[in-house]
Formats: sequence, C-alpha cells, structure tokens
Amino acid sequence: MDRLQLDKHTSKSFNEELEAARKNLMQMGGVVEQQVREAIKALIEADSDLAAKVIAKDERVNDAEVSLDEECVRILARRHPAAGDLRFVIAVTRTVSDLERIGDHASRIANHAINLAESGEAPRGYVEIRHIGERVSRMVQNALNAFARLEVDTALAVLHEDEAVDLEYASAMRELITHMMEDPRTISRTLDVIWSLRSLERVGDLANNIAQHVVYLVEGKDVRHNSAEEVEAAVRD
Amino acid sequence: MDTTFKHTSVETSTGPVASEPTTLGTDLEQEVGETVGDAFVDDPRMKARNVDVFYADKQAIHNVSLDIGRNEVLSMIGPSGCGKSTFLRSINRMNDTIDICKVTGSITLDGEDIYDRSMDVVSLRARVGMVFQKPNPFPKSIYDNIAYGPRIHGLVERRAELDEVVETSLRKAGLWEEVKDRLDQPATGLSGGQQQRLCIARTIAISPEVILMDEPCSALDPIATARIEELIAELSENYTIAIVTHSMQQAARVSDRTAYFHLGKLIEVGATDKIFTSPDHKLTEDYITGRFG
Amino acid sequence: MTDILNEMATRREQKLKRSLSKRYRQEVVFKAFGVASIVSALLFLVILLWTIFAQGHTAFQTTQVRLSVDLDPVTLGLPDNPTEQDIFRASFGTVLRDAIMAKIPEASSRRERRAVIEFISTGATYDLRDKVIANPELIGQTIEYWALAGDDLNQFNKGNIDRNVDESNRQFKDNQIAWFDKLDANGDIKTTFNTNFFTNGDSRDAEMAGIAGSIVGSFYVLVVTLLLSFPIGVAAAVYLEEFAPKNRVTEIIEININNLAAVPSIVFGLLGLAIFLNVAHLPRSAPVVGGLVLTLMSLPTIIISSRAAIKAVPPSIREAATGMGASKMQVVLQHVLPLAMPGMMTGTIIAMAQALGETAPLLMIGMVAFIVDIPSGPMDAATVLPVQIYTWAENPELGFRENTSGAIIVLLGFLAFMNATAVYLRKRLERRW
Repeated sequence: MDRLQLDKHTSKSFNEELEAARKNLMQMGGVVEQQVREAIKALIEADSDLAAKVIAKDERVNDAEVSLDEECVRILARRHPAAGDLRFVIAVTRTVSDLERIGDHASRIANHAINLAESGEAPRGYVEIRHIGERVSRMVQNALNAFARLEVDTALAVLHEDEAVDLEYASAMRELITHMMEDPRTISRTLDVIWSLRSLERVGDLANNIAQHVVYLVEGKDVRHNSAEEVEAAVRD
Repeated sequence: MDTTFKHTSVETSTGPVASEPTTLGTDLEQEVGETVGDAFVDDPRMKARNVDVFYADKQAIHNVSLDIGRNEVLSMIGPSGCGKSTFLRSINRMNDTIDICKVTGSITLDGEDIYDRSMDVVSLRARVGMVFQKPNPFPKSIYDNIAYGPRIHGLVERRAELDEVVETSLRKAGLWEEVKDRLDQPATGLSGGQQQRLCIARTIAISPEVILMDEPCSALDPIATARIEELIAELSENYTIAIVTHSMQQAARVSDRTAYFHLGKLIEVGATDKIFTSPDHKLTEDYITGRFG
Repeated sequence: MTDILNEMATRREQKLKRSLSKRYRQEVVFKAFGVASIVSALLFLVILLWTIFAQGHTAFQTTQVRLSVDLDPVTLGLPDNPTEQDIFRASFGTVLRDAIMAKIPEASSRRERRAVIEFISTGATYDLRDKVIANPELIGQTIEYWALAGDDLNQFNKGNIDRNVDESNRQFKDNQIAWFDKLDANGDIKTTFNTNFFTNGDSRDAEMAGIAGSIVGSFYVLVVTLLLSFPIGVAAAVYLEEFAPKNRVTEIIEININNLAAVPSIVFGLLGLAIFLNVAHLPRSAPVVGGLVLTLMSLPTIIISSRAAIKAVPPSIREAATGMGASKMQVVLQHVLPLAMPGMMTGTIIAMAQALGETAPLLMIGMVAFIVDIPSGPMDAATVLPVQIYTWAENPELGFRENTSGAIIVLLGFLAFMNATAVYLRKRLERRW
C-alpha cells in the first residue's frame, strides 16, 4: 500500500475502513482461488465429494460479495473518496464481482466433475484440463497478488498469460472436436470436458479483468478491452 | 420513490430530465410530518422532548424530540434557517442571552431538567461545553485560554494541577506538540485550524459531559477540517458530542447518528450509514443528494 | 438563442467605448474635486499656522539691557546691617533708573528721560531685588546686571516695530532709535530666551506676563475632569450596553445622551454657574468648578465613544466566555472591558483635548479673572490656557499680541500631543482577532 498511501489519511477510521475492505477482498480471493484449484482437482480425479465441497463454498463467496459491496457503498456514501481512494473503492467493487463470477465458474466445473464421476471418465482432454487449469489458477493467484501488492508488473504478466491461455484453449477445442467426430459415443462426456475448459477460459478472462483493475487502481488508466501489448505500452510511457 | 434527477448543480439541471416540471413547494407540503427514524436510544445522555423554541412570536423549532446517546456523535444537518443551530443552542441555554427567545418542552441532562429553576446556567455550561462556528480564542496567551474555564469555576487548587490540566487538554485536542514551546504567546497568533482546536481544548479543560459544536469547521480549510474531524472521532470515546454542520459530507464522515432538520422540524433521525445510503424520508434524500437546500 | 444578452454581446464593443470614456471623465472630475477640497483645507491650515507662528515665535524671546548698577546702600535707602525686610523695601527702581540714565546721558528733557527710563521694565526691579536678597553681600558693590528691557525696546529689538515707518506713525521715536543703536553698538543689548513666559503668571506688563498660571490651572481642571468623567462615563456606557433592559426608558436616556453632546458649551457654563456657584457655593474661578462643568460637557463624548468601543468587541468573545460558563459580570470585567479599553481611552483623551480647548463655559464661572499667582491647588482661583489667550487677545499692546500667539502655539502643542497620544494608543493597544 505504498504508492496509494491508503493508510495515510488524517482520519484513522477511514484508514481502517479501507484496510478492512482490502483484507476482506483478499480473504474472498483466497476462497475463490481455492475453489478453482479444488474444482480442477475434483474434475481430474473424478472426486465428487471434493466437487460438492466446491459448490458449497460458493455460498460463502456470495455472502462475501454482498458484504464487500455494502462496505464499498458505505465508504462511498460517508467518505466521498477521491483520486486513489476512489479508484481503490471502484477497483474493489469490480474485482468483487469478477471474483464472484470466478466462483460461479468453479461451481460449474465442479458440477461437470460430478457428472463425469457418475458417467465414467471422458477419454480425452484431461491433459489440457490439467495444463490450462494450472495456468488459469496461477493467473487468479497472480492477479490477486498484484492487487494485494499493487504490482503493475505482475498484473501485466497475467495479461500476457491470458493471451497464451486463449491460444491453448483454441487448440484444445480443435482437438476435442476432432475427437468427438471420430468417436460420437463419447460426445456427452467430452462435452462436460469442453464446458469445463470453456469455464476455465472464462476464469482466465476474469483474472485478466482483475489484473486490468490493478492497472487502473495503480496507474489511473482504464485499460479494459486492450491487448496485453497495448496495456504495457500505456503503462510504460 | 421519485427517481427524477433534479440536482441543484448546473450539469444535471440543464439535462433533459430537468425539463420535467417539478415544483419544490408542493413536495414540501406533502412530505413534512412526524419525525421518522429512531429519535430515541437506549442509553441517552441528553433527552429533548417536545421542544418548541420561539423568537418573540416566530416559532423557530416545532415539537422536536430527540435523544443524544452516551459517547455518540450526533450530527444535525439541514438547510440554512432550519433551526439546527437554534436547537443546539437551547441544549446549553445559550439562547438565554437573547431576551426574546423562549423555550418550551423539556430537555434533560442525565435526567435533570436543564430549564428547571434548580439548574444553574453556569454549572450547566460547565457540563455542556460549546465550540463555535468561528474560532474565538480569547486575546490572551494559549495557556490562559485553556486555564480560563478551570480558573473561573475554581476547579483546580494548585498551579501544578492547572499546568497538568492545560497539558492534558491540549494533548487531547492534538495541539500540544505544536504549541508546547509557546504557551505564553497570544492565542490569536495561531492558524485558524489551531485556534479551533484550541477552542476545543478550552472546552475539554472544564471536562464537560457533552460537547456541542456549532459548525466548527465552516471557517477552516479542508486540511484543518480533516484534523478537527479526526479529533471529534477521538473525543467521542470519552464525550458525548452533538455537532451542527452545513456540510452533509462532514456529518457522514464524523457522526454515528444523523438528524435532519427542515423548517424547524426534525424530519428524520437515524444511524448515519442508514441516512446516507437509504433515507426513509423524501426530504432527507432530496437534501443529502443535493436536490435542494 | 435570441436572448437579449447574446444580442447585447454583439454591440457591446462600441457601446462600451462610448460609455467608458464618459465614465473615466466623471472619475477624473470627481477625483479633481476631492484633491481641490483637500488642498484648500491644507492651504487654510497652513495660513493659520503660519500667521500664528510668525506672530508668536517672538514671544519665546526677550530683550535684556546691560547696566552697571551701583548698589549704594544710601541710594537704596538701606540702614546698616539691613534685614531681608529692609532689602525687600529698598528702592531698586532708583538705582536702575540711575544706571540706565548713566548709559544715555544725552537724554536731558523730562520727556526724554522718561523715555529712557521706560527702556527698562518694571519687572527688572523685582528681579534685581530677588537677586540681592539671595546675595546680600552685593550691597555696596557696582555690579554688571542684564536688566529686562521695557516693552517698546523689546518690541523694537525683536523687529516688531519697523524703523523705516514715518516717525509720527511709530511708537518708538527717532531719538529712542538713536539711543538703542548706541547701546547696541556697545554690545549692551542682547536677545535671550523668554523664561518669564513659561514661569510667570499673568501680568499687566507684556514682557513680564507668562502662561505658567494658566497651564497649572488647565492641569487642575483637566485632572478634576478626568477623575470624574472617565469612571462615570465608562460605568454609564457599560451599564447601558451590557445590563440595561432594552425599553423606553433606556431609549430616552440614550437619545438624551446623544442630545447632550450637541448642547452648546456655554449652556454648561450657565448650568455650572447656577448649580455649583449659586447653589453649592463652591469658590468662584476655582479649577474644581471648571472641572465639574467640563465633566458635564465631556461625559456625552466619553459615553458615546465608550459604547462604540464596547459594541466593537466581537460577539464571538462574549459567546466564548458565556459558553465556558462565565457569569455576565465575568464576561464584562474579564473580556469586554479589557478589549474595549483602548477605544475608551482614545475617546477620553479626545474629550480631554476638547475640554482643554474649551473657553466659553469657564468664562461663566469666573475663570476669566486677572490672576497673577500660580494656583497651588484645585480650590485656588485660577485661569486656564484658552481663557488666558482670550484675555490677552483683548489687550492692544504689541507685547500682548505676540504673547497671545505664543500661548496659542503652546495650546496647539498640547492638543496635538494629546491627539497623537490617542492615535498612538489606538494603534498600539488595538488587539487583532
């Protein structure tokens, strides 16, 4: 919290409110990150108990979303934050909603894991799931780290990573579609894998958004809908 | 709820939504009624019941009932002339100095009626201190300003004790570090914000139970204001504070509960969070959103 | 948009140009009037001061004539071993007359001798007497003595009589001028500082007359006035401002105080005559009566200025003290009075300056009497500086004319000093808040 100096206000209670919001956001992020990792694990290991746990956690995430939003509204109403403080509150509300959607995707993956556990393993796609899943959960982790430490470099790394994930996702899709055409009997099970991959890709996009919020928070530049290179250029000048 | 955006600021009022004809007067007539919200608290320090205040024939306050809780910060907001200052001044009988002013109803401090004959106004003001709009230090030294209250009330016996009172008061007001080397210099040489903190320290020096503040930051710059607000937050641990402010942002920042006055009536009281996020009364919402006032 | 303001914007330039030149012209004329009025006021002030100083500065100088005085005990009519009483009664006038006659032996006719004798002031007789009383061993010796010159010689020496004027229109005749020139050539004439003017009381002789008596009289009058009017005025102002209920009675009192300030001062004199002299039987011509009368006169001024000073104390200070739980009395004594004091003192000093310059009411209570002795207390008969000026101004002699101007210079000096003190006090003590 060096550059924004969110703890340097004359009003101590304002400092405390901002710090509380940051802390709660990080806690929520931690839960969501764990959800993603566990959902992937449940899918690969066909562990329906673990999947059920992931789904159960979503409620906690939803509660966290509501209470963090309330906190932000209260800060907006009572403190009228400006500049860095304002960007912080805005970034928190946006990140909260992105995290909640990541949580939703994790639950969805967990649902597919339960389906697959019941109907038997899908013949293909596990390698891709494992691979992309690993990258995506690292992206979520890095995006949250970038937020916690206000590191633009880490955020930029996440943006680059997302582009790589998108490429891998496209090639995995092509492979799975080919596989379905070759063996129509596995279509329903392979679709679960595809939906899961689709969710992972969305999680990557959402992690990407969080990284963009970090850039907005630290640099004050709105970099949504830009490619990683464009963002980097904007940040460096 | 009417969501028409009729802000008083120029950008919005020239926008398309403002072209809808809305008359302020009719809104007000419909809406003013009984106080909404929680005017009463469990553990009140001061209680006002059915208070009316008259200036000669003109009624300035209409039937206000309101509690000030122990160690809470109560802010009173409202448009100019809404009676918030008048109400504040009737709490420590500053209105007594105005001949034509008459107060009815009851105001109690820890259960004692402050307008009762047995209540001496001097001792009341030693229990309910007041900080004014304009910093008004006496044209004496910093030390003498703080020592004034304890001296006239005979609160201290020895010089050493008085020194301690002065230091403690200044420390509590967050002014000690800035003035400890020049206590014998005139208080009028301090900056506006320092003067106002000195006035607060002067009030603390008689260790009142309640501190009333009448727009304490209206003459100060934003930095000085922030310091005073932080001071209010610190003081609220030990004192009951009622603050009148024409800055609703300030009310939002410093207070636990907020009371909204309008044309001498208490419209709405409630937790500050509630008032500033979802007020119940339309007048309150109009005021805090800048649609009039 | 076709609104009047937009339309106006298009023709603003030319309209502005026309109206601007007119406005500037008016401004220049207005300024010129102001400068003209100030210049004329200054001009009159300069003329006034110049005439007074031109006439008056010589009052501070006097002329002395060197004589060899033979203090022969026989001529003085002294017995052997004279007592102080004897010396006091000795005829010093004779020895002085002999001495001046010895300087100008050519004056022979009775008229001429008389003119020569008048070269020496009668005041010199008393001065020489005092000198001999102080040093009795001088008796029998011949001493060199600088005698105070008579009025005519004095005036001629100081240039107040023009020697080029035709003799018939001149007080100082041609033969007197010849004698004067002879004395002057011998170095027997000298011009010195006129200590008499500051140490003597009034006198029938201009060269002997001084303002000491009237200054002391003025001082006593002012002391009495100050001691009475300041406490009464301040107390009245404090009561009216802070304690008096706002009703008809106080309103009438206020109006009457303001009216009193406008009452002609002679009326106060008549009042003093009627009450203090005729009813209370206080001594006539006494500074204490003058002080009482001037108190009546300066009270409205002091009350009005004190009330203004009290009103000027910011209400925030009162509020602060009241809010701290100070009682009304504490607020007034600890805060209002100290803050209003500079204003009150300024008002008082200005009222005192007014009182110092006041003549008319004092005429009514007999302070216009011819009083030679310097008063030793407020109950002694006395006169005051402005009345002294008034008395002298009625005298036709040249010597008194310059004395009048001299006294005016002194009075103006005192007034300027008092007003300067008022300004200084106001600047110095005025607190900022």
